[in-house]
Order: sequence, then C-alpha cells, then structure tokens
Amino acid sequence: MDTLEKQAAKPALLLVFITLPFAAALLSLCTGRYPIPPITVFRALLQGVSGRQAGVSAEAMTIITGIRLPRTIMGAFVGAALAASGTAFQGVFRNPLVNSGILGVSSGASLGAAISILLFQNSTLTPVFAFAFGLMAVFFSYIVGRVHNSSSTVTLVLGGTIISSIFSSLLSFIKYIADPLNQLPAITFWTMGSLASIVVSNMKFAIVPIILGMILLLFNRWNINVLSMGDQEAKMLGLNTGATKLTVILGATLATAGAVCVSGTIGWVGLIVPHMARMLTGNDNRRLMPVSISMGACFLVMVDVLCRVISDAEIPIGIMTSIIGGPFFIYLIKKKKGDGWT
Amino acid sequence: MKALEVSGLSFAYGPDSVLKDVSFALDRGSALYLLGPNGCGKSTLLGCILGFHHPGSGTILVEGKPVHRFSARQFAGMVSYVPQIHEKSFPYKVAEVVLMGRTVSHSAFSSPGKEDKRLALEALERVGLQGFAERRYTELSGGELRLVLIARALCQDSQLMLLDEPTAHLDFKHEINVLAILTKLIRDTGLTVLMASHSLNHPFYFENEGIDTRVALIDEGRIFQIGTPANVCTRENFYNVYGIESRVKVHHEEGKDRHYVISWK
Repeated sequence: MDTLEKQAAKPALLLVFITLPFAAALLSLCTGRYPIPPITVFRALLQGVSGRQAGVSAEAMTIITGIRLPRTIMGAFVGAALAASGTAFQGVFRNPLVNSGILGVSSGASLGAAISILLFQNSTLTPVFAFAFGLMAVFFSYIVGRVHNSSSTVTLVLGGTIISSIFSSLLSFIKYIADPLNQLPAITFWTMGSLASIVVSNMKFAIVPIILGMILLLFNRWNINVLSMGDQEAKMLGLNTGATKLTVILGATLATAGAVCVSGTIGWVGLIVPHMARMLTGNDNRRLMPVSISMGACFLVMVDVLCRVISDAEIPIGIMTSIIGGPFFIYLIKKKKGDGWT
Repeated sequence: MKALEVSGLSFAYGPDSVLKDVSFALDRGSALYLLGPNGCGKSTLLGCILGFHHPGSGTILVEGKPVHRFSARQFAGMVSYVPQIHEKSFPYKVAEVVLMGRTVSHSAFSSPGKEDKRLALEALERVGLQGFAERRYTELSGGELRLVLIARALCQDSQLMLLDEPTAHLDFKHEINVLAILTKLIRDTGLTVLMASHSLNHPFYFENEGIDTRVALIDEGRIFQIGTPANVCTRENFYNVYGIESRVKVHHEEGKDRHYVISWK
C-alpha cells in the first residue's frame, strides 16, 4: 500500500472502529428471549431520551431501557476496560501472555466481593468492597515488587503472583466458612462473572473509574511503546520510567477494578482481544490501544448476546468467554503461526 | 567546555570494587575508545555515566553539568545510547523503533508527529537502511538491528553518543559499515562518541580517517593508559593488560601509513 492510499484508509478505518461497538450494542438491544425489531429499539431510545410518547409498549420499554440497555452499556465498558488494561500490561511487562489480572486485581476484587457477601449480604456494598480490595491487591503487589526503590518488571510480576495466590487462598477460606445454602452460591456466581446482575445504581462504581483509567492509558499509549523496550532503554530514550510505569499501572488497575467490581471476574477478554487487535493493527500502541478498546467493547457485548440466546437458562459470561476464547486463541496461533505478534 | 568529564570515579558492586579512581575528559567531536579485558569495568563505566549505577565517589559532568542533575528527558537530549544487547519484545516495524528516539522531543503525554516520522526515516537513510521502514524489526539480522539502534540513537539528536560494543557479532561488511557510519557522523555533525569494544584494530580505523581519536586501556577497574592509538596500542601495553604477545605493524600503501595489530605466538 502506498502512503497516499494509507492516508485515505485511516479515517475510514477510524470510522469502522467507532461504529462497530454501536452496531454490536444495537444487536444486543434487539436480541433475547423477546426479540424486538431495530425500529422499535430506536423508538424506545428516542422516547427514553425525549420523554415523548413514540408508540412503544410499556413492556418493550421496560425490556429495552430497564434491562437490556444497562446491561449492554456495562458489557461494552467492561469489555473495553479489560482489553485496554490487558494491552497496557502486555506492553509494560514486555510479555504477550500477560492479561489484565497480572497484578492481582481480579483475585483482590473476588475476595472483596466474597467478604461483602459474607458480612452484609448487601448488593450495594459488594462492588464497593470488590473495587477497594482490587486496588488493595495491586497496591500490595506494587510494594512487594518494589526492590531498591525501583520496580523491575520481573519483581512486579512476582509480586502480583504472590499477592494473587494469598488472596485466592483467603477467598477459598471464606468460601469454606460461608453458608452453603445462600452465601456460597452467591460467591461462586460472582466469581464466574456475569452481566445479568447489573443494577443501574451500581453502574457509577464501574463507569467512572473505567473512563478515568482508559483516559490515562490513551494518554500514555506512546509511552507504553517506549516502556516495552525495557527499563534501561526507555530511560535512555528520555522516559521517566518510574512515574510512567506507575501511571500506566494505575490506569490499567482503575479500569480493571471498575470492570470487575460490577461484573465479577471475566477471564480471557484482557488476553485475547489485545491479540486480535495486534493482528489487525500491529503493535504500535498509538493505534493498538484505541482499536483494543473498540474490539473489547464489541467482543463482550457479542458474547453476552450469545449467552442470552444459546439456551433458556442464561450462561454466566465468564464461562462463555473461556469457552469461546480458548479455541479461538488456538485457531489464531495455528492459522497465523504466531505471525505479527511474537 | 568538555563534552564529557569524568573525575575520580569509583564504583563497587557491594564489597567488590569495579572502578577505581577513573578520570578522563572528552572534547566535542572526538572519539574515545575503551579497550580492556572482559570484566575490566568498561560496561560498568558506561553504566555509571548513563545513570544505571550510582558511583560511590567522583563526578561525571556532561557539558559541565553533573549527570544526576538532569531529568531523564534532558539527559536523553544530551546523551544517546546504543546498547550491546537489545531484548526484543513485540515485532514493531523498523520505523516505529527508530521513532522511539524522538520521545525526547515531545511532552509527557503526547505522541510523535509527522515531522518526527520524517526525522526517523532520515536517520534510517543515514545508516543505510532506506527501504527497511515497514519491516518487522524482530526479523532483522544482528547487523541490521545494530544499525536500527544506531538510527534510533541518531534520532535523539544528542551531542554525545555512547555505544557498548557496537560491532560485536557483526560480519566483516557490517562491522566496517558501522565504523564508516560513525566516522561520517563525527565528521559531519560534530558528534562526540564514547565506545567500549574488544576490537584492537578499530582505534586505528578512526585515526586513519582523520578523527580526533583516543584510547583508554582499562585494566581491573583502572585506566592503565589513555592517549592516542599509537601511544596506547603497543605491544608492551597489550602484554601487560591481556598477557598476550602481539605485534603492532604498519602497512604502507598509496602514501599512507596504516597501523594494525596481530597476535604473536
């Protein structure tokens, strides 16, 4: 492709990646146990925004704006957040096998949620606890990984592994002492990950940190490139490596903790979506990061649609992402022979 | 003012003293060659100047200013570095890797723009890698990769370039190519170059090209001798430092004298 063609292709491509999540969202609003045609969806949205009667039945209104819309919006944000933080962590840790949970945010959030379920059985407090414990786990990992006042990627990963393992053990302990009739199923269901239990009042716990985190990552997307050259080289290229690494970790952690605190741990998104994006755009985070965000949003919304239509009893989305993600990943490795990413 | 001035530098890894009272200065537009056996402290010396290690005592001045007083960005604008070993991570395109040398030129949260891209392509051309921009840098040969790293350092537009064994593992052609490019840069842009190497003949190469060249022969963390290649690269010095018998010969052709070193017995 010559340079002229390339410049023409850029805005077109940009448009595609901005449009795709909205297309996925529309599909998600239409499909489910009660299929609703797109035109009704548009009318319902219009009615919801303007407050003027647009001829939509009360029943359809409830399904669209009360159930499917919050769920779709949350799915898009959670997917985008997990993909963005996975992309960022892969760059910072110079490792394509890293995902958004590398520093223990997921196991921390799970423990927090379990403690909340055990102590309060209160659905409003669960995301708060999950968020706080998620941040706490990453903070501990960072402290453990900080040796001689600098944080090498190896010691950080070690710190993350140790803290994850400790928090997982504590989670097992809480499961062990939890009431097997109502608390244990609630904890187990939470850790499987689901978008079904999204409550509109909880969405702010998620969306604010997710947006903040993604803004930090988008601002640092060139710096992530430079960090992936390794600490010493990044420093010699003029980067304040300590502060930059901390900012990227903070951004990725805010985004992931925001996602996990309302949806539970949804695996694979933070690993597989960045790779799909890498194959499409290459590894330059200037393009990779926004494309990952767009694809993450699409991916999770689409998987959620699948969870709803595949059977009468809804399948937890965390199970579905693994079932789809694993084989799809194998396909990518075999088909592309690792081309373009390692 | 000197481009680089090191005085009374000492450094130890714990109880093991690596550098002992190292002092030297480097004029702008000159080349200093660090020679010495494996483990004599060449790379550690470069590491101290670059701020990877914190020296126990002594001062290091770049353009008259102590190195620890520079921010990372300021320092990268003054000094560029070509590492001996580069651990590849993701298969970036060659142009993207070279562009990373432009990180110095923009503020903390912005990305390089069109002008930076042009400078990166220009740097690639200067090391003779035009046409390589869109190739994956993970698929390059060792020699090509070294040139990409030199191009990246060039992009920083700094006055002082530090290179750690820039010709290690390179074939004859790439080795001479790297030397020729460095010579050209010193001559055309007034670049100051400090490099560590094991090639005893390279200092003569620069001298033959008319570059203001000096050699610091390092032995067990001390500067054994520092001076012009003809003064330092002698049979006696090599025997004292490496314990190897050698001969320094002169080849006369086309009215020019060229020195070279061979081992003896």
